[in-house]
Amino acid sequence: MSLTATYRLGTRLFWRDKSMLFASVITPVGLAVGLPTLMRHVTTGGVADAAAVAHASLSILLAITAFMNITVALTARRDQLVLKRLRSTRLTDGQLLLGQIASTATQTVALIVVCTVAVRFAAGVPLPANPLAFAAVTIAGSVVMSLLGAAYTAVVPRSELAAAYTMPVFLVAAVAAGAMGPIPVPSWLRPVLDLLPTTVVVDAVRTGDLVVPFLTLAGWTVAGLVALRWFRWEPRRS
Amino acid sequence: MTAIEVHGLRKSHQGFEAVKDVSFEVAEGEIFALLGRNGAGKTTTIEVLAGFRRADGGTVRVLGLDPHADRAAVRRRTGIMLQEAGFFPDLTVAQTVDTWRDFTSAPRPRDEALDLAGLRARAGTKVRQLSGGEKRRLDLALALLGRPDLLFLDEPSTGMDPEARAATWDVIRDLAGQGTTILLTTHYLEEAQRLAASMAIMDEGRIVASGGMAETLAARSGRVAFRLPAHVDPGALPLPVTVEQGLAVCRAEDPDLAAQTLLTWAAERGLRLAGLEVRTATLEDLFLELSAR
Repeated sequence: MSLTATYRLGTRLFWRDKSMLFASVITPVGLAVGLPTLMRHVTTGGVADAAAVAHASLSILLAITAFMNITVALTARRDQLVLKRLRSTRLTDGQLLLGQIASTATQTVALIVVCTVAVRFAAGVPLPANPLAFAAVTIAGSVVMSLLGAAYTAVVPRSELAAAYTMPVFLVAAVAAGAMGPIPVPSWLRPVLDLLPTTVVVDAVRTGDLVVPFLTLAGWTVAGLVALRWFRWEPRRS
Repeated sequence: MTAIEVHGLRKSHQGFEAVKDVSFEVAEGEIFALLGRNGAGKTTTIEVLAGFRRADGGTVRVLGLDPHADRAAVRRRTGIMLQEAGFFPDLTVAQTVDTWRDFTSAPRPRDEALDLAGLRARAGTKVRQLSGGEKRRLDLALALLGRPDLLFLDEPSTGMDPEARAATWDVIRDLAGQGTTILLTTHYLEEAQRLAASMAIMDEGRIVASGGMAETLAARSGRVAFRLPAHVDPGALPLPVTVEQGLAVCRAEDPDLAAQTLLTWAAERGLRLAGLEVRTATLEDLFLELSAR
């Protein structure tokens, strides 16, 4: 019951924050639908290229709507002492974080579904052949990226810096998954980029192989949960 | 029954020892005031009692439980008005209360909570448009939602206008009348004196005076002050006085008797004691006396 309360709160606040909606809904959806559509109609690569970009664009949605959004929202609420107030209720710390993570992950999954359907019509990219596997891996990816975003707030000193701090994460995630087109990376870096949670989700959607992606996501889940130990509920007083 | 027991509490943060050795007890159903200047350690003490911070030393029992280890159990029975805490600026007052009702078991109905805080008329207003005093009242409404057995009020009436402050005092008194234990910090001495039956004064992390409000004040001297008539040598007065900014001040255990003595002496000489002021000891006197040390 308390978990659904924090879930509802997180969802309500997600859709109410007008300035964040532009950053965490319009921009990523625009990219995730626009890039494959451009690919389909402007280049000669046809549906295959459009599909590759559409799959890679999942990394953008995961990095922005899940990771950046939760990092910005939680640091803002931390610095405005809203988290402190929430903690004065009977909600436990776990319920507060889990409800928020579940809510952010849900919005991310919803946008992934919207984009997947949109590129079907705008760029002719076929719908996932195995919808269950697609759902499983995008849901898992959204949860892991929301969890990591919540843990990442510990390194963000002030809420005004939250968006800037998540920018490198977004760039690395998008480049690693190929959402920015073919950008050459050093060969030693490739295996590292292939282990990013965003990359494994894109790979799973692309290849249909689920074992390695799920093992990798499990590893990131453990890392995220451990990192939550350093989660700060109040701004640093200095 | 004792609602709060604190023995030898110590708490530092970031190398600064905010609370050094604090002990006090609050009986069930009592209003207890924790007084002190800014930085005296009041808020840190409340934050330990409410389970936000773990004590570095000493023992703390709240409703018989360890507030840090048994935080969930303590939270269910306590309400807290933090000195500083944020709201969601884009929610209205009613939406804020509804959101908090979601987090509370068996909460008061929304309108009941708004009425207690005198905010019914502002239900549709966004929190960002509230005045400081109104935000304080919203704070109070949220703290009262769960009908707590124990209420922590950290500077409850700061920023309120006199009318809202008086209304808040009535609410606090009513709650205590119904058996709620209340620990409040304030630097409005009048607030403490009007509400609290017991108190402790903190200074630099320690308790420098404590006890029942009436007894503590009764043990302090009262004060008679008047403008010293022209050409009167203070030494000629029948009672010892000090002259403070043109005012002759006489401190006496029984200020009424002292005033009578002085007036009789003046009448016999055809003198007037202009601006005569007689008062029993107030918290303010006690405060000034302690801080002068």
